[in-house]
Amino acid sequence: MLGFAARRLAFAVVSVAAVVLITFLLVHAAPGEPMLGTPERTLASPETIARQRTLFGLDRPLPEQLFRYARNLASGELGESFVLHRPVAAILGEAIPNTLLLGGTALVASLLLGLAIGVLQAVRYRSRTDTLLGAATLVLYSVPVFWLGLVLLLVFGEKLHWFPVAGMTSAALRESLSPLGRAIDVARHLVLPAASLALVQAAVFARFQRSALVECLDAAYIRAARARGLTERAVVLRHALRGALAPTLTLAGLSVPYFLAGSVLVESIFGWPGLGRVAYDAIFARDYNVITATALVSGVLVAAGNLLADVAVAIADPRVRLDR
Amino acid sequence: MVIATTGDADVLLPPVTTVTSGINVSDLLFCRLAELKLGLNTVDDSGFRPVLARSWEHPDSLTIVFHLDPRARWQDGAPVTAADVAFTFGIYRDREVNSPLAPFLAAIDSVTARDSLTVAFRFRRWYPEQLYDATYHMRILPRHLLDTIPPVRLATAPFSRAPVGDGPYRFVSWTAGSQIVLGADTAWFLGRPGLDRLIWRVTPELATAVSELLSGEADAMEVIPARGQLERVEQAKGVRLVPYPSPFYAAIVFNLRRPPFTNRDVRRALAMAMDRETVVRSVFGPFAEVAVGATSPMQWIWSDSIRQLPFDTVAAARLLDDRGWRRGGAGGMRAGHGAPLRFTLLVPTSSQVRQQAAVILQDELRRLGVEMRIQPLEFTVMERRTQTGDFDAAFISRTIDPSPASLLQWWSPGAGDNIGRYADTAFQSLTAAAMRARTRAEAAPLWRQALGRLNDEAPAVFLFSPRNNAAIGTQFGNVTIRPDSWLATVTEWRVIGAQPGTRDRGAPRP
Repeated sequence: MLGFAARRLAFAVVSVAAVVLITFLLVHAAPGEPMLGTPERTLASPETIARQRTLFGLDRPLPEQLFRYARNLASGELGESFVLHRPVAAILGEAIPNTLLLGGTALVASLLLGLAIGVLQAVRYRSRTDTLLGAATLVLYSVPVFWLGLVLLLVFGEKLHWFPVAGMTSAALRESLSPLGRAIDVARHLVLPAASLALVQAAVFARFQRSALVECLDAAYIRAARARGLTERAVVLRHALRGALAPTLTLAGLSVPYFLAGSVLVESIFGWPGLGRVAYDAIFARDYNVITATALVSGVLVAAGNLLADVAVAIADPRVRLDR
Repeated sequence: MVIATTGDADVLLPPVTTVTSGINVSDLLFCRLAELKLGLNTVDDSGFRPVLARSWEHPDSLTIVFHLDPRARWQDGAPVTAADVAFTFGIYRDREVNSPLAPFLAAIDSVTARDSLTVAFRFRRWYPEQLYDATYHMRILPRHLLDTIPPVRLATAPFSRAPVGDGPYRFVSWTAGSQIVLGADTAWFLGRPGLDRLIWRVTPELATAVSELLSGEADAMEVIPARGQLERVEQAKGVRLVPYPSPFYAAIVFNLRRPPFTNRDVRRALAMAMDRETVVRSVFGPFAEVAVGATSPMQWIWSDSIRQLPFDTVAAARLLDDRGWRRGGAGGMRAGHGAPLRFTLLVPTSSQVRQQAAVILQDELRRLGVEMRIQPLEFTVMERRTQTGDFDAAFISRTIDPSPASLLQWWSPGAGDNIGRYADTAFQSLTAAAMRARTRAEAAPLWRQALGRLNDEAPAVFLFSPRNNAAIGTQFGNVTIRPDSWLATVTEWRVIGAQPGTRDRGAPRP
């Protein structure tokens, strides 16, 4: 297991370094002026812009800029935002926990919901329930995340007033709430954005889980379990599901990019102050340091997700041996 | 009052703040020496009301002496002094601070503290808008809190994210990407503001921000820019639209360095072929004005009497025929001088209305036999192309300040923002004369002649100036809006009825 983890870790480091390098080169090659990143900044004269470029070293040759960035990165320095005049590390430090909360909640919710639907479909294979749930998951799977988010916002936020429509906390009351009150407040704000992300991915998990479980339920070791007189519940949950979890867990690990990409849209729609929104704003503002740093963080999260999925598969399915 | 805004602030320090939210917030934290009244008269002293300066005088044509209000205090208790004013001028002009507002202070030679409450502004030359330039561009900063910070680090200093001001509101908190909270300064020397707390909620998506408004989670928005969202707010209860003139206009600017735009008659023909009224009504409905020139209804020079080219497709066709651009090319399009009459219009993808207008104009020009290709570009890319002269025509919008002198920023030779490289001595003579006029009555006809000249020369086709609509909760009364700064009069706004709603019950009070 340790050897496997070390190999995967080394691979992850190389992958993340490649992601950072490619992002750095792409953002610098992309057309656009970083010092004119927002319409309001057009107030700046060409002289002011030139001085800003010098201040941030953008007047230097690209290889020199890359060398400086790599040197700073090696010492843990991510640079400063051109727009926000803040250290990039501080900006990401505030945004990452919010994205992890949103993405983590959505991942767990989608996994649980997807597993439940998948299992139900498998045990009712080719029944009306299976058909109906199959159609429902197909519809959810086809829905764009941003569209689903807007519909949930309109129905459950604006019309029914069940949940807040935007933000992470209530504007007026936040300072007067107790810690528990704040936690509840955040949880209420989390429902709609997390549901937008989770529902679509739950459909994917359900479809995978159903196929895997249907295949498992036909396997010889399951027939043997039934022959030993185990109840159907024990056969499905203790034996078949354990063996059929591997594809879904692998998929859960691979879905980290989905949650990161989805968070760009969902965080913008719901005004959730996370990494996706930071990246979205930075891309349009050509805020090079922030863009490159978000690529770095996303790369690390994706690599970590894959690694965790491999470990989870090994734990769930004793037939898998990672060190081979 | 909870204000929904689509963008977070950058910093809260006036010399270096460049985004709208940051400007709106810092405007309430830091005062000017004097403020423009609602009429936005930038020429006469009567157009200003005292703020930090209790009074001012003009001892000679190159000097204005301000007498500070002795009651004015920084929110840490220190008095606001003449030394703060002189220090502020130094900060705005400092090259290391790199304030985008520095060019607007170029006519001021020096600012000198004569005693703790008297400060003299010395100008390089006489002109009628001296008071405007001395007061409008600078918000006074606390020397005792900033003089130890190197100018180059001012924007990144902790003070810029948690400032101590002298305005009607105090800084309370800023959660990046989420919200900024200000509390009323109950001891403000000009009287306690009517609203206890102002909270800016950052909601990037416009439709969501409007939903916040309609669901009661927010109380106000500076402007609802999209027609569809305006109609949602119009039908809602608890919110009303407050119209006010916008400080910007949109125009198609021709690159005068490139043919066929080097020819004045070609430019005039294209301008006359554009039915601006149809474009404006199709895209905005009733929510915009057809532009009378390079101005907006916010400026006192706006007038229907300004000379404009008519919508006249027959005259336009004749002009093109006379200049050798005749029909007969592929598909009946015009050609001449060995080339088809066609050009590419750059349009920013960030502006849905300009993209819609471009499509209508494309059809109108096609009927004249002119091929206009539309190239949508991301905002930063389009800015880069226009700044470097790499374009045929660009669909731009310009935010202007209350002074008509802003006309020179975009249309005078040598100005960095004159992207089409327009240069005309008659226009320059008219604007120079207007700048010298002593009163608004003298200046107005000259500025309008200059705008008329600009229309005649057609370096651009001035298309529309949107009519801004703020959305304000019906629980707020005494609401007035100054077009250049929508919260300039917020200290006078009041909550009608004493009981806070469910949302605000338990909220802290100053």
